[in-house]
Amino acid sequence: MKIGRIGLLLVPMLCAAPSESQDAVPEAQALLEQFDEMYRSTGTAARIEIKVERPKKVRTMQMRSWSQGEDKALVVIDAPARDAGTATLRVGSNLWNYLPKISRTIRVPPALMMGAWMGSDLTNDDLVRESSYAHDYEIAGIGPSEEPPGWQVDLAAKPEVPGLWERVEVVFKRTERLPVLARYYDRKGRLSRTMQLEEIKEMGDRRIPTRIVIVPEREEGRRTVLTYLHVEFDVELDESLFSLAQLERRR
Amino acid sequence: MAENSTLRLAWRGLGRNRKRSVLAIAAIGLGQFAFLATAGIMRGYADHYFDSVTGPLVGHVQIVAPGWREERAVDQTLDNVEAMLAAIRGQAQVARAVPRIYAPVLAALEEEGFVGMVVGADPALEGVANGLLGSEQLAGLLGDGRVLVGKGLARQHGIEAGAELAVVGQDIDGSIASALYEVAAVVESPVELVNSTGIVAGLQDAQALLRMDDEAHEITVRLHEAEQINQAADSLGAQSALQGVEIKRWHEVIPQLAGIIKMMDMYSLVVLGIVCLASIAGIANTMMMSTFERRRELGMLLALGANPGRLFRMVATEAVLLGALGVLLGTVLGACFAALTAGSGFDLAELGGEESFEMGFQGVQIASRVYPEVRASDVLAGVSAVLVTALSACVWPLLHVARLEPVEAMRT
Repeated sequence: MKIGRIGLLLVPMLCAAPSESQDAVPEAQALLEQFDEMYRSTGTAARIEIKVERPKKVRTMQMRSWSQGEDKALVVIDAPARDAGTATLRVGSNLWNYLPKISRTIRVPPALMMGAWMGSDLTNDDLVRESSYAHDYEIAGIGPSEEPPGWQVDLAAKPEVPGLWERVEVVFKRTERLPVLARYYDRKGRLSRTMQLEEIKEMGDRRIPTRIVIVPEREEGRRTVLTYLHVEFDVELDESLFSLAQLERRR
Repeated sequence: MAENSTLRLAWRGLGRNRKRSVLAIAAIGLGQFAFLATAGIMRGYADHYFDSVTGPLVGHVQIVAPGWREERAVDQTLDNVEAMLAAIRGQAQVARAVPRIYAPVLAALEEEGFVGMVVGADPALEGVANGLLGSEQLAGLLGDGRVLVGKGLARQHGIEAGAELAVVGQDIDGSIASALYEVAAVVESPVELVNSTGIVAGLQDAQALLRMDDEAHEITVRLHEAEQINQAADSLGAQSALQGVEIKRWHEVIPQLAGIIKMMDMYSLVVLGIVCLASIAGIANTMMMSTFERRRELGMLLALGANPGRLFRMVATEAVLLGALGVLLGTVLGACFAALTAGSGFDLAELGGEESFEMGFQGVQIASRVYPEVRASDVLAGVSAVLVTALSACVWPLLHVARLEPVEAMRT
């Protein structure tokens, strides 16, 4: 899985119950594929709350999101009222923002891909990147994790895949094999960002982590908490939903 | 009378081997000229850098919210700016105090977005010589949704006067900030930041975009006299309206440029050192040769009862005269250089066969054309250095004279 799919609430999870004993070392590749598939679906509709915490203030946004396959997604902000109607459309590696106040749609240029998305700790790049843990990283090892308890899969970026992270550690729960924590290390080998996946619930006929906390390192008092309020997987969505015309018509 | 004859003898001494003396004078003259020209050019550059830096962009003193300089987060603002400005302007040393706002934005003419920087500026304060815009006419165009766009940004994205420009950023609450502006003109600012990314908006427009009240990111203060910077910064820090803010002197804001300016002064000193070495070599050589050649004559004068002190004075006077003539020649050349370049300036790039240029460094526009400034203090420094060197250079010849045995000397 990737942050992008979390951010835009993407696809279905095949949460297969583990058949082997809890102590046997699971196959890392299988865990990663499960992680990748967790939110993936042919059509997903969701309501999400994003809380952006900063040292002096907390901002909460509510939004609806729709996604289809791996590369189409639309997010529309409902609250706060001041931002209502602001929308982000992703088709492939392109990202557009629709600003209702000035009735304009602007494509986000490559130079701003690393910029914050809607002021959160998610970057624009997080929303569009096609990264897949199973494909973009090499498994460097798997072993037991003490804190949090579970299986830790160590991933190293494949040299040919461009990306921010040099190394990622993902910790899976021993019982359900669901991810609970991911640590991201930058090109200098420093821990740069931690993602906690919490509150595993039944939602949209899947058991998924419904609360994702992104904590940037070395930045005191900052974090972004993304909570799924409602999710439906494998719903039928009209192709035209993911078009610029539709983006502007939504206002 | 005796002094007159010493001077005359010294003058005659220099005339004994004219070619040698002329060569020594030319070498010293060239050294003094090189020093004056270097000091002038370096000062010209240092002054230009200093004015470029403290003029429109940085000011002599800057007032910002704590941490703003490091993070530049849009919500790190100064509150009660009007009260702060009143307190700052109340200081006798302060010539101008200007509030500014900086907000990174995504801008677009049509659909394609590009990166820009909305610079909120007060039209009434930025049209003057050291303002961000430097033209009252341009400043007058600002406000009511009209903005000025830096020429670099305009060229890169095909922005022309009259165009409608959309900007999107984040306001101080973290919400989406968006506005549509009319481009009143494309401008060339003395500030590189404005040229390359700047969308200059009226202060009130920028405040409205970012949902600021009586707020700004920075207050730039210019003083009547740059030398009063420490005193001014201290008295500003004591003002009750300015508690809890960061007050920074210009060299704390851009230490790299301050370092370059300091280095330029050092460079002139290095050249002065080289001039001294050249003088020492020239004068010592000439005087040594001259005293060796006159062994017989000096021995005879001693045998006739001449006072050794008088011989010392004669040699020393000759050395000083040599140095003085050289330094005079160099000063005349230096003065000609200063007079020739004073109005038109001097382009180092053209001298090297390249086109003159302006480069951006740390947000400041710096030109290759320089206006050298030669000061009387430079001439004095050169004169003193050469004269001191002249006296030091004749120590060896003097020792030679002191050791002369009259009879021995006359035999050789």
